[in-house]
Amino acid sequence: MVHEIDFDEILGKYRSDPYDYIDVCATHTGLVRCLVPEGGEVAAPSGEWLHIPGTVLYEITRERNSKFVTSHTNGTISSIHAELDGRFVEAGEKLMTIRHPMKKKEIIENILKEVLFLFPAPERAKYFFSLDIQSRIEKKGARAVTINAGDEIITMSLMKRDTPIYYDGEPGVIYSVYFRPGISVSQGDPLIGVCAPEKLPLIQKIITRVKADWDAEQ
Amino acid sequence: MQSSNGRGPLSGMKATGAATEDVRQYILDHEIPLRRRTDGDRTPTILQYGAFVGSVIEHHAALVRAMDRARAHITAMEEGNRSVASGTVIIADSLSGSRGRFARSWFAPAGGLWGCLIHANTLLPESRRFLSLATGVACCEAIRQAGADDARLRWVNDVLIGGKKAAGFLIQGFSGPRHLDAYDLIGFGININNRSFPDELQNSATSLAEEVGHPVDLHYFTAVFLAKLTWNLGLLYFEEANDLRGDGFSGRNGEHLLLEGWKELSDTIGRRVVFGQNVFEDQTAEATVTGLDDDGGLRLRLDDGSSLALQSGEIRYRD
Repeated sequence: MVHEIDFDEILGKYRSDPYDYIDVCATHTGLVRCLVPEGGEVAAPSGEWLHIPGTVLYEITRERNSKFVTSHTNGTISSIHAELDGRFVEAGEKLMTIRHPMKKKEIIENILKEVLFLFPAPERAKYFFSLDIQSRIEKKGARAVTINAGDEIITMSLMKRDTPIYYDGEPGVIYSVYFRPGISVSQGDPLIGVCAPEKLPLIQKIITRVKADWDAEQ
Repeated sequence: MQSSNGRGPLSGMKATGAATEDVRQYILDHEIPLRRRTDGDRTPTILQYGAFVGSVIEHHAALVRAMDRARAHITAMEEGNRSVASGTVIIADSLSGSRGRFARSWFAPAGGLWGCLIHANTLLPESRRFLSLATGVACCEAIRQAGADDARLRWVNDVLIGGKKAAGFLIQGFSGPRHLDAYDLIGFGININNRSFPDELQNSATSLAEEVGHPVDLHYFTAVFLAKLTWNLGLLYFEEANDLRGDGFSGRNGEHLLLEGWKELSDTIGRRVVFGQNVFEDQTAEATVTGLDDDGGLRLRLDDGSSLALQSGEIRYRD
């Protein structure tokens, strides 16, 4: 988390290369068969619950169990380790990279993630705001809701087990919400981004600047 | 409880509720012989893993909510610099303020088995996610043992007899306020001898006594239920240890034993269902259940041919 931002440097970076590069790594050890070509287009998951899988990227086989691994984002395969095709790989070995074209909103969120306190998901599960927080959000909007360490802010719901999640970061307002009710969040992914009150002007500056620069470019 | 198939009452059962020694006695007399037939030499190990269940059994004539009592108990123990016994069971003859998920009311008059088990969270997340399934399997086995042979499980852990709900569970996480130790509070509500229900539940709820046609010995049933919980929660630890050793799971084709047991008791797979986070209030959709994933998620086939793994939420049968 940073307190000052060099706008020119960051915006220059996104202007010259408005893409995110996502490495695709082996989910576990096994024999790998790549199923997309370099330069190929890949699609992200879709559907109401993001239940329609993205493009199949590779097949990995361990002890006669095959698994097809699909893309979590859209973009183009910018590089592929063709030498690993048909070979046994270790868990975590990089297989390919997806070049994902970023939208203005994603660029703003990426920059904000460097400024906000990100509160991560403790387990892969579905998340909901606690009743109290939800009613405050409905009344005033998330950005008017201040939370403090120790507040019960979210309920984690998994297999009919509901666990209250207590906030443990710096006090601030809920600036960004990264989860949607009914959609599973992976362990470690951010649930919310919290902004300390004194940083709100900085946040506004980021958004105004990105929007202005981006719109001028278009 | 009298039964023709040897399911007799425990000798010396106390009048005020099952005690730890009653559960142990039931396990020795009934559970071990029963499980040995299917699980052989691993039976004692699994039961040892689950032996924390019922380590302390606290009985109350009436409570507002057993979950609240569990939280107060953990808080008081921590403030007194004492440890909470994992497996502590809090039982009340009746609850005046019980509720289910989404603040739904749960009718808990005298005659049912109402309570909460405190589980100190010592499971890995991969095993902990099966707590709900394990609780349902234990209850369904106990209800069958007590004579309702057609009791079935509806994902995640609703126990239905003749299509009507006889038991429900609510599992909530709780952190001790002083040491921040993590606990799972496993709330259970099982309709045993209570036969009258509020108007809105008349067509969807039933009790064990209503289904078997005679009153059931509540103390005996409590011991059976806790013995079944001993086994099924023990399975989570047993399979976790196997997996950590690199031996994989012990069921047929390497399946987790708990999932194998759940599938044997459930009639969910193959059914047409409506699903949602809260099927009474949220937007829902229909699908056909095609299976149970290795992580306990329900595999659904939607009408557009796509599939979805349900990890949370609930279902109701449409067929």
